[in-house]
Amino acid sequence: MINANVTNIPRFAHAYQQAPWRVQRQWVGAFLLAVLALAMVAALYLDVTARAAITGREIQDLQLQIASIQRTNADLQTRLATSLSTSNMASRAFTLGFRPAEAGEIHYLIVPGFYRPSAVMLVSSAPQSVTQTLPPEYSESLFDWFADLLGQPATGLAGVTP
Amino acid sequence: MRREYGWRSSALAIVFGFCAFLILGQMVRIQTSAEADIFREQAELFAGNWRTYYPERGRIYDRNGHLLAGNEQVYTVGVNITEMNDAQAIALAVSANLGLDFNIVYPQLLNPDGLTFLTLKDFVTGDELAPLQEMQRQVSAQSLAGNRPSPLAGLEFQPRLQRSYPEHALASNLIGFVNREGRGYFGVEEKYNNLLAGNPVRVWVPEDPNRAAELPHVPGGTTLVLTIDRDVQSAAEESLDQALIDTGAQNGTIIIMDPASGEILAMATTPRMDLNQFWNYSAYFNNAYEFNPAISMQYEPGSVFKILTMAGALDMGLVQDRTPFFDTGSIIVGEVNIQNWDRGSWGAQDMTTCLQHSLNVCLAWVSTQMGADHFYDYMRRFGIGHTTGIDLAGEVAGRLKMPRDDDWYPVDLGTNAFGQGVAVTPIQMLAAVSAVANDGRMVTPRILNSMVRDGRQFNILPSIAGTPISAQTAHTLSQMLATSLESEASMALIPGYRVAGKTGTAQIPVNGYYDPNQTNVSFVGWGPVDDPKFLVYVWLEGPTSSPWANETAAPLFAEIVQKLVILLNIPPDFIRLQTASQ
Repeated sequence: MINANVTNIPRFAHAYQQAPWRVQRQWVGAFLLAVLALAMVAALYLDVTARAAITGREIQDLQLQIASIQRTNADLQTRLATSLSTSNMASRAFTLGFRPAEAGEIHYLIVPGFYRPSAVMLVSSAPQSVTQTLPPEYSESLFDWFADLLGQPATGLAGVTP
Repeated sequence: MRREYGWRSSALAIVFGFCAFLILGQMVRIQTSAEADIFREQAELFAGNWRTYYPERGRIYDRNGHLLAGNEQVYTVGVNITEMNDAQAIALAVSANLGLDFNIVYPQLLNPDGLTFLTLKDFVTGDELAPLQEMQRQVSAQSLAGNRPSPLAGLEFQPRLQRSYPEHALASNLIGFVNREGRGYFGVEEKYNNLLAGNPVRVWVPEDPNRAAELPHVPGGTTLVLTIDRDVQSAAEESLDQALIDTGAQNGTIIIMDPASGEILAMATTPRMDLNQFWNYSAYFNNAYEFNPAISMQYEPGSVFKILTMAGALDMGLVQDRTPFFDTGSIIVGEVNIQNWDRGSWGAQDMTTCLQHSLNVCLAWVSTQMGADHFYDYMRRFGIGHTTGIDLAGEVAGRLKMPRDDDWYPVDLGTNAFGQGVAVTPIQMLAAVSAVANDGRMVTPRILNSMVRDGRQFNILPSIAGTPISAQTAHTLSQMLATSLESEASMALIPGYRVAGKTGTAQIPVNGYYDPNQTNVSFVGWGPVDDPKFLVYVWLEGPTSSPWANETAAPLFAEIVQKLVILLNIPPDFIRLQTASQ
């Protein structure tokens, strides 16, 4: 009985052994799968990198545009001030038939509550607006997002007050 | 058959593997070769560059928000040698449009001495550049249509900002100017150069777009708001210029200040230069102190100084407004005979008429009665001999000899009392007299009203420089000076407004002697007397129409105040008092 079993082992092994071409295909398949995975990762990486590079270049262009606009803005403000300068305004006023008022020609009216500001305020006294920042979708990682999600209370109860 | 394929596959695998190995090997070899450092340097060279970011220079506004100093866009015109196609075309274009010499530019373009960017002309304004820009645009369009390279390729215009003054010469003496290198000279531009210029930042700017966020944000320079009122300044300059024509004076100064806060509303001097053409500086000025004589020119003030002498005596309780004095026409001080301006004797007087008639003898008597210690102590309290601390570059201290100085003589006590033998600046005189106009409190004159930085405006608070006299003394002296003007029907009087003030006529010392033919004339006055809103100092150098201040400086004071009350919306006294009583 035992001898019969021992002599059957190679036969069983041979029976369950895969055909060589099948093994070869498995290896090739696994290799191609790995290559495909690598290619996908590489493609993804290339895509993200390309997008980042394009965005970065756009940022650089925008920064150049900002600098250019700031220069233009400063230039235009100075040109406007030149147009509104004392000498220009006086000559324009004379051309239009105006002349400086004499002391006896002025009538003073009392305006209750009027207060002449001592000097110009170039900056609004109102609180400055909060600096705009990127929304978290653009900066947080998947882990951060998941951690935030776990840390948040249930939406339905969050706003309920007794 | 299958074996044959297997062999081929193996052979291909080996070949590809070997190639891969070679590539890897070559990479490792390059990384570790002797030339690796050179490659790294080259990589770093093209990975970015060091740049210095100069922030936009802060602007300067007057108190009402009118721009006095801004920035305009100018261009550096140059050629990128690596992109240049036609040197001759470029040389012709720039010589035709920018006035450059073709015979100089063309050889430079052919032999740029290793430069990759050759600057042809700097600080070209937009208007100057416009024809050249248009030419380049048209030539480029034609070349593109003809599918050939543009002959003006490589011609570049690099924009930048430079200082510009929209009001040109207005208030030039107190604003100062900025040179091509961005450094401020004189006035506010020099005093606040560090604030205005901001902090230049030198950083490594990567070309890698993935590092775009690393580009620095360079905040602009601090913007300044001055206490100057542009319209008042313009009116003062106009009056001063006309006064020079009318009186034949060589130069002049007018300062207008709020006596309560020390805010300078106007500071007009002559000559003035167009700040946009600062390179003409030497055509206007021989010395630096001539740029703003209001703070840098020291001179003998003459009779306006009597205000301070009388203030000290009143404050000591030595005299009162009606204290009698009999004027004999001369007084001996330090063994020197002192006489009146007209060498006459005026008989029975009191302290008010002493000021009214500007009697030297009377004031010399007052100072000798005070004694040197008290007299000079009061002068020190009034800040004579010290800078006022005004926030402008170039202020000088003047000179007040003290009894312990080697060059002080006893006669100085008498002559100093009426403004001889003492050197002051107009701003110093104004600051001292502010104590009389401001209830005894002397203010520090100032030009800066507020500054704007990082989106916030910081106001500068007034500063009291001291209280040399009591409020009672200040009121008494104000009344005395107002009465003296009214009694002599001074040309400084203004209909509808009660003002106080004093003339000053000072001979000019030349080589140790007083020139009998030339005087400096001045007038300091303020009003309305019961609630002073302005303090005006007028100074004219060497008028030829008349040597006397009451005929030259006093009318100029009146003219300025008549404009001033309109510009500052100060109603006549009867309207103002009527309003106050309601």
